[in-house]
Amino acid sequence: MKAWRIILAAAGIALGAFGVFRLLTELPTYSLLILGVWLLAALVIQDAILAPSVVGVGWLLRRYVPDRGRRFLQVTLIMSALITVIAVPMIFLRGTQPAVKALLLRNYGSNLILIIAIIAVISLILYAVRVARDRSAPANIS
Amino acid sequence: MVQHRPRWWPKFSSTLRSTAVTARIGLVLGIAIAVLFVTGLLSHYQYEPWSWLPEPAKPVWGYRLTQGIHVATGIATIPLLLFKLWSVYPNQFRFPPIRSIKHAVERLTVAILVSVALVQVTTGFLNVLNWYPFPWYFPTVHRFLAYVLVGSILLHVGVKLPDIGYGLSARVVEADVLTEIPWRENPESHSIAGKLPPPPTPGISRRGLLAAAGAGVGVVILTSVGQTVTPLEPLGLLAPRQWTRGPQRVPVNRTAEQAKVIAAATSPMWTLEVVGPRPYRLTLADLEPTAVHEARLPVHCVEGWSVGANWRGLSLLEMVLRAGGTADSRIQLISIEQDWGFNHSFVEGPQLSAGLLATHLNRERMDVDHGYPLRLISPNRAGVLNTKWLGRIEVLS
Repeated sequence: MKAWRIILAAAGIALGAFGVFRLLTELPTYSLLILGVWLLAALVIQDAILAPSVVGVGWLLRRYVPDRGRRFLQVTLIMSALITVIAVPMIFLRGTQPAVKALLLRNYGSNLILIIAIIAVISLILYAVRVARDRSAPANIS
Repeated sequence: MVQHRPRWWPKFSSTLRSTAVTARIGLVLGIAIAVLFVTGLLSHYQYEPWSWLPEPAKPVWGYRLTQGIHVATGIATIPLLLFKLWSVYPNQFRFPPIRSIKHAVERLTVAILVSVALVQVTTGFLNVLNWYPFPWYFPTVHRFLAYVLVGSILLHVGVKLPDIGYGLSARVVEADVLTEIPWRENPESHSIAGKLPPPPTPGISRRGLLAAAGAGVGVVILTSVGQTVTPLEPLGLLAPRQWTRGPQRVPVNRTAEQAKVIAAATSPMWTLEVVGPRPYRLTLADLEPTAVHEARLPVHCVEGWSVGANWRGLSLLEMVLRAGGTADSRIQLISIEQDWGFNHSFVEGPQLSAGLLATHLNRERMDVDHGYPLRLISPNRAGVLNTKWLGRIEVLS
């Protein structure tokens, strides 16, 4: 295991250093500076905005939503969040391209709402089934 | 060290997080990035092939497959990556934040890995959407950031190998909870406390979490891949491209207007100059009688969209032979478009022999946005290298 760890780390450092070296030699200083801003901004957006928001939502759910319904709500929210991440840039960029490119022509906003609605309805049906089952077998509460 | 944490220090109590969960997402993410790296390098080879190993012309769907996979996987990697980062977020709050120089270096390399991964997948997706809110040339940075990304992943796997081993071998429902306290110092971890009952997950279970994330990523793939898996186009609620809406049912990347060629390309005075040992010129009237070769070839773009199409035109090889070249010649095709890096391309070997100088697309005279009056279309060749609005062909050797 130790040999593997050393081989992986050494190969990784070599490959990464090659990439950094090529970036430093191929890009003008201004582009490198902006790339640095992008890299820092990515960390800040992830660690200071996205991740804490998800933790916050999780805390609210735990605090205010009963266990039985929570798992269905969680599935809906997890799926919706992951899909929304992809949809958001397309919602904003819709219609910015010449029509012949056949690019970004759809109504991504309504499509996203449709997808989330389908997920929510399925979750709701599964939740209703669960509630009905618990009623018919009250001894088996989980 | 645990007891010295200040009272206000964040505490993470969700039992969903676990090294077993993280290691599983990490494994999928690692495979995805390996696929991205290989398909990305294959695409790079299209642009800078070695002269002794020209790009093959078979299979005709080769580039369509590899770039379709590259972009579909890349889009799916965005939610996967965010999920992975969520699963290890408590690690940011270990106390003290820096324990030693070794620990500081490790945190720095993880920060590089995370920021490079986020920028790589984000700018890749923005390239698919043709939006460039940055000053650099996308392919150069995407290519070299890929080396930094894969390098930092190898280093990360080397550093974390014991944790990965534990995470993958532990059962998902039972494994230690991942909090801001490292398992080595947490008296409640299995590794210290011995066998314990599985941590309670009153809401969604860990398996449910993995299934929900998998389903979310699955929906992303299913609703976007219709831009290259053409039968799935009606499902493509989140697909950037819609091949059915392009002129002659083929999308366009560089329009005639962007290229500023509309007047020159549609002029009746257009001619094609063929330069070689026996140079000659073709006019519009010369094209029609010789445009008899048909081929069914996909157009496939590095941006991950593709569609099969019916092409008719002149045989590139016959044109080259007539100019005094051979099947082993190296050819440069030059567009009437000025001032663009891809206004010319080189072709040799199998792609020369299989190449078509197309005049017709899907049984109609080709639209000016597709390269009227004459463009190259060759199998397994990146879209942008199939030069449009040809004005000159040079037999170089």
